[in-house]
Amino acid sequence: MEIKALFVILISTIFINNYVLSQMLGLCPFLGVSRKLDSALGMGLAVIFVMVMASFFTFLIYKYVLIPFDIAYLRTIAFILVIAGLVQFVEMVIENISPVLYHSLGIFLPLITTNCAVLGVAVLNTEAGFLNGNLGLLKAVVQGLGAGLGFTLALLLMAGIRERLEIADIPENLKGLPITFITAGLMAMAFLGFSGMKI
Amino acid sequence: MNASILRSTLILGLTSFIATFALSHIKAITYPVIQKQERQKQENALALVLPGYTIGEERTAAVGRANFTYWTGQKAGGNTTAKAYAFIAEKPGYSGAIRTMVGVDEKGTVLGISIIRQSETPGLGARVLEAASRNTFFQVVTGRAHETGEEPSPWFQEQFRGVNAAAKIAIFKKGDWNETMRDELLLKNGVSAITGATITTKAVKDSIEVGMATLRIALEEHAKAQEAAGK
Amino acid sequence: MSYYRVFAKGIWEKNPILILGIGMCPTLAVSTSVSNALWMTLAATFVLIFSNIFVSLIKSVVPSHIRIPIFIAIIATFVIIVELTLKAFQPDIYKALGIFIPLIVVNCIILGRAEEFASKNTVLPSVLDGLGMGLGFGLTLTVLAFFREILGSNRLFGYTLIPGMEPATIMTLAPGAFFTLAIMLWGMNALKSRKRR
Repeated sequence: MEIKALFVILISTIFINNYVLSQMLGLCPFLGVSRKLDSALGMGLAVIFVMVMASFFTFLIYKYVLIPFDIAYLRTIAFILVIAGLVQFVEMVIENISPVLYHSLGIFLPLITTNCAVLGVAVLNTEAGFLNGNLGLLKAVVQGLGAGLGFTLALLLMAGIRERLEIADIPENLKGLPITFITAGLMAMAFLGFSGMKI
Repeated sequence: MNASILRSTLILGLTSFIATFALSHIKAITYPVIQKQERQKQENALALVLPGYTIGEERTAAVGRANFTYWTGQKAGGNTTAKAYAFIAEKPGYSGAIRTMVGVDEKGTVLGISIIRQSETPGLGARVLEAASRNTFFQVVTGRAHETGEEPSPWFQEQFRGVNAAAKIAIFKKGDWNETMRDELLLKNGVSAITGATITTKAVKDSIEVGMATLRIALEEHAKAQEAAGK
Repeated sequence: MSYYRVFAKGIWEKNPILILGIGMCPTLAVSTSVSNALWMTLAATFVLIFSNIFVSLIKSVVPSHIRIPIFIAIIATFVIIVELTLKAFQPDIYKALGIFIPLIVVNCIILGRAEEFASKNTVLPSVLDGLGMGLGFGLTLTVLAFFREILGSNRLFGYTLIPGMEPATIMTLAPGAFFTLAIMLWGMNALKSRKRR
């Protein structure tokens, strides 16, 4: 039963409630880093990593620090500082362990602090009713993983399309952001198809 | 280097301290208001799902894993007092849990439901709370608006009134519900789903069925406990 | 730069959404109805102005390498103030805006203005800059919401427009948001290229 619940969370965060294309979270990096496929992949991996870590730590902090001390109203400030610290920490660790990885991921890490999808998943974890069931922490982490995977999927699709668009013949005034938004709209429409899915 | 670390830490700590200090005061101001709002909301929901009943005590029972909250209500009518119950039912919809307050009489007939928490997609699942406004924009602008004494209740919640929660509730795809469909659907103990949001409808329906079953167990346990205490 | 220019640049020539292309998430997500858009504007502008004031006040005290966390802490403080106030006095709006209230913290416009403008200027221009940027953000948001609410739910300010008409729900969903903004950006580009000629 619990396995099924986890699977449902994973599938619905990747496809049905895709963070970018249906909840409209994390649009800044979605538009900014989707010009090239390899940089999109790098950004996506970094986001998955940070989202899973952030889900883990923010959930623990919310459940075992903020709630018991009755200071849940400080959620926003606590989460954003945890995420900022976490990103900094991850950056330092990667730099020391694997310089190669750091060169491919490193430049994206500072951008992630202001990626609203990361704070979004942390906040949604506290509101999704994971707090009073068992396995709450695992569900939160799975939701973080799903959100990251969904974000990466959308980013990669977008990057693939935009690489093609570079050489396409587009009306002058549509170049740049407008055509990107039209593409995103069409992709969102396709993702709407998942919303009738029974799992 | 060490001095700079110390200074940075100090400044960061000081900022956080001031921020938290200021926020605790803001919280002290707003907290009573928020509490009052929430109490008000709960009272409104109870009045909606148990219309005309006097709400009794609030009880919680540990059934299964989660806590089950329910209220008892009484209405004096003729020479008997009708008893009714309200409970909180919860099931995950598309995004997050949908929490519904359900009022039932002793036989399990739904007296009213009120969705107190949901975060479904706007335009689809979130239409569980959509009420057909009586006035159009032009009527309001031209000043010919009807005086609406109270907001109309959302059709999705309205259609559950009269449904038997103790039996299986059927879901039909009939589009938006209106008063003329009531008899036909009640005959089959069914409700009409929201177009494009069958999952949301199913979550509400399931939560009512499960909640009703849980209510039965909770009531039995309560009766047993009363009996034991009486001896 | 005159005070008027500092104020007015945010509305048109440096409009955060249409020209700079930042702060997209709340723009697209809460523009489902005009009243949501107006409340969001109010909330974001409040945070923008006050964070600008505080950042410009403390700019000389803060060592540059920890300025970002401090700016974020200041912004988060005002976001929580907004959050609590809305929750207490406008619970329906608080519910409608949902997680996009706490997410004002990571709105690139606010951190961007703190970093780019308020940390280099004095208090008065920072206030004007915040106000102008807030208005520019709000204007775009409201126009977007106006079209989406009319087309997507056949309503304006919550009142039905044409009774009995089935609205195009897709406009209130994500694709409608993307398309409407695409058309607005297209129009903006067209205007700019006409001016150049």
